Amino acid sequence: MEAVNYQRLGELLLDMGESMLSCGAEIQRIEDTIFRMSMAYGAVKANVFVITSSIVLTLNFEDGAQITNSRRVLSSSSTDFEKLESFNALSRRCAEVPLALDDLAQELTTINRKRIPSYKMYIGSALAAGGFAVFFGGNLWDGLAAALFGLLICFLQIKAAPVCPNTVFFNFISSFICGVLICLVGKFVPVLHADKVIIGDIMLLIPGIAITNATRDMLLGDTISGVMKMMQCLLWAGALACGFMLAISLIGG
Amino acid sequence: METYLIQLATAFIGSFGFAMLFNLRNRSLFAGALGGFFTWLIYLIVRSCGDAGIFLSSVIASGVGALYAELLARIFKCPATLFYIPAVVPLISGSSLYYTMSAAVDADWEGVRNYGLETLYFTLGIACGIFLVSGVLHIVRENRHKKST
Repeated sequence: MEAVNYQRLGELLLDMGESMLSCGAEIQRIEDTIFRMSMAYGAVKANVFVITSSIVLTLNFEDGAQITNSRRVLSSSSTDFEKLESFNALSRRCAEVPLALDDLAQELTTINRKRIPSYKMYIGSALAAGGFAVFFGGNLWDGLAAALFGLLICFLQIKAAPVCPNTVFFNFISSFICGVLICLVGKFVPVLHADKVIIGDIMLLIPGIAITNATRDMLLGDTISGVMKMMQCLLWAGALACGFMLAISLIGG
Repeated sequence: METYLIQLATAFIGSFGFAMLFNLRNRSLFAGALGGFFTWLIYLIVRSCGDAGIFLSSVIASGVGALYAELLARIFKCPATLFYIPAVVPLISGSSLYYTMSAAVDADWEGVRNYGLETLYFTLGIACGIFLVSGVLHIVRENRHKKST
């Protein structure tokens, strides 16, 4: 293997860690991945520290060189399993036979350029909201209504969330809008149970998965990240509750 | 009985929706969504045997979901999280969260307490289930690794 440009290697590993954070990987997996890749590229010692909002990496090499890089991670995460899988496969490949740094950079850009196809997000939201509205005791009409509002939430998430970087505010506004619309529709269409429709749509906005992940991070020893995420989730859930409650008290559920 | 069947079917549909929303690859979508079905099935079975509470039932259901996810991860050769999340989605209690909020609006503190605890039990149960399974698997993996070196 030709001599590795240490600084560039550090940058690329941070890029990889940042991308993994933003597609929803667990902290332990990211630390593990960066560690393995550092070893594969010839580091003799690697100290990796990842929390939800930053990454610090120090590498020692055989010739005595030492580099330290750090990165502040801002992008709020949206879970993307396909990306996660691709990064995982890439790191496994590199751990066996390290790619040249240029190729590694190329691969990272290719994976990062992929977006979740929007048809998949729309269908997924409709199925999830509709399914869970019936799951929690709604009738077929409630399911259909929840699926329609699921489409609306998905539309807001795709179009409005990028413009509105504050997730707490976004959750508040979108749950308020949905709450008002659902309560209004519930008033005029008597077969609908507004509460069941709202429950179906809450499943889309609720950070339940994030809370589960946060608890798991804490239990597995990444206490700081776990607590950070947990606080974020509680704020989101609070905003969600406020939005829906405000709508219900205005219109009457 | 009919309610249970409807719940199982919609748990599958809901998990399928979430798996799609999180961009699980199309080839593993069906298997991933089946996890939601199994998890809820286990929950219902445990819940109806004897007097198991919400917490115990969701720990066991989440544990089974985690095992199922580990199994699929071996088959499809990708991280277990991908299958674990769709599998436990039915245990995330959107309904008790909603009723907690609505009780709070009506200043019904008794209701807030009951529904709030229910939400808490589900959340803790999910986390405990996965934690138990991943903890045990971790120990097994480490020891096997030690033996081979």
